[in-house]
Amino acid sequence: MTKDILKIGGEEFSSRLFLGTGKFSDTKTMIEAVKASGTELVTVALRRFNREQAEDDLYGPLSELSTVRVMPNTSGAMNAKEAIRAALLGRELSKSPIVKLEIHPNPHHLLPDPIETYEAAIELVKQDFIVLPYIPADPVLAKRLEDIGCAAVMPLGSAIGTGKGLSTADMIKIIVRDANIPVVVDAGLRAPSEAARALEMGCDAVLVNSAIAAAGQPAAIAAAFKIGTEAGRAAYNAGLMPTSEVAVATSPLTSFLK
Amino acid sequence: MKLTVNGEPHEHQGGETPDALLEELGAKKEHTALLLNGSVVPSKEWKTTTLNENDEVEMLVFVGGG
Repeated sequence: MTKDILKIGGEEFSSRLFLGTGKFSDTKTMIEAVKASGTELVTVALRRFNREQAEDDLYGPLSELSTVRVMPNTSGAMNAKEAIRAALLGRELSKSPIVKLEIHPNPHHLLPDPIETYEAAIELVKQDFIVLPYIPADPVLAKRLEDIGCAAVMPLGSAIGTGKGLSTADMIKIIVRDANIPVVVDAGLRAPSEAARALEMGCDAVLVNSAIAAAGQPAAIAAAFKIGTEAGRAAYNAGLMPTSEVAVATSPLTSFLK
Repeated sequence: MKLTVNGEPHEHQGGETPDALLEELGAKKEHTALLLNGSVVPSKEWKTTTLNENDEVEMLVFVGGG
């Protein structure tokens, strides 16, 4: 039996749920949620070292999770140049070429800048990064990024932290249809059912942060997201029934009751 | 030596290397990445790179992020 492994840029994952580590009330809660989710990939951000806030440094706690890879993001970058610098810094610490490329200069909507992202991606691919760009759900941009060598694309479901779910579903379906690299829905998911829906649509994975960190019980909802993601993938592999415009009976419509 | 460290003025007392600076500031070397005047300095070069007056240093660590 095949194990339905997800391959991104030479890395293999048996979990299709990736987690962001931001917004948790404390590191202990985050680690519990990470463990409950079964994830094998978490994102981290870079921030200035602050002696007074040493407990925010996640290097130690995440190093203890031997099955979890760390993917630095480039959040904070306003443009391609800053994102490239952030990626280089991240790689120094993670010792891994995998990077989440995110450039969202406007704090009101946090939508990714497609032009800066494209330019940064070209340079990062040249510098042998495994690039996972966070993008608007734009099928043309997704294909362009695939063409220049990104390892996957990460279209948003909705704006970061809004919990508005798969508002871009129709565009994501087009991206999935045309992509030859994995498609990871990233941002905006709120419920495990949405993770299931993304996987049922043919997406290869989901990246979830706020939905878990800001939930009532992060570890519990992380476990629910694990189940939802697995259900969605199993359904996709099983093949959903065809839809019909007219009713198709499931029971025999015999007339013996007259 | 006057430096700017993480955006703040800093009077560095120790040796003129990033390695000495990290020691002075109590940063865990394995957890920290370094920019010197906008360029990444790999950790293997921390003992051999010279800091100069008015250099801008950024020390970065991993924190929670999506």
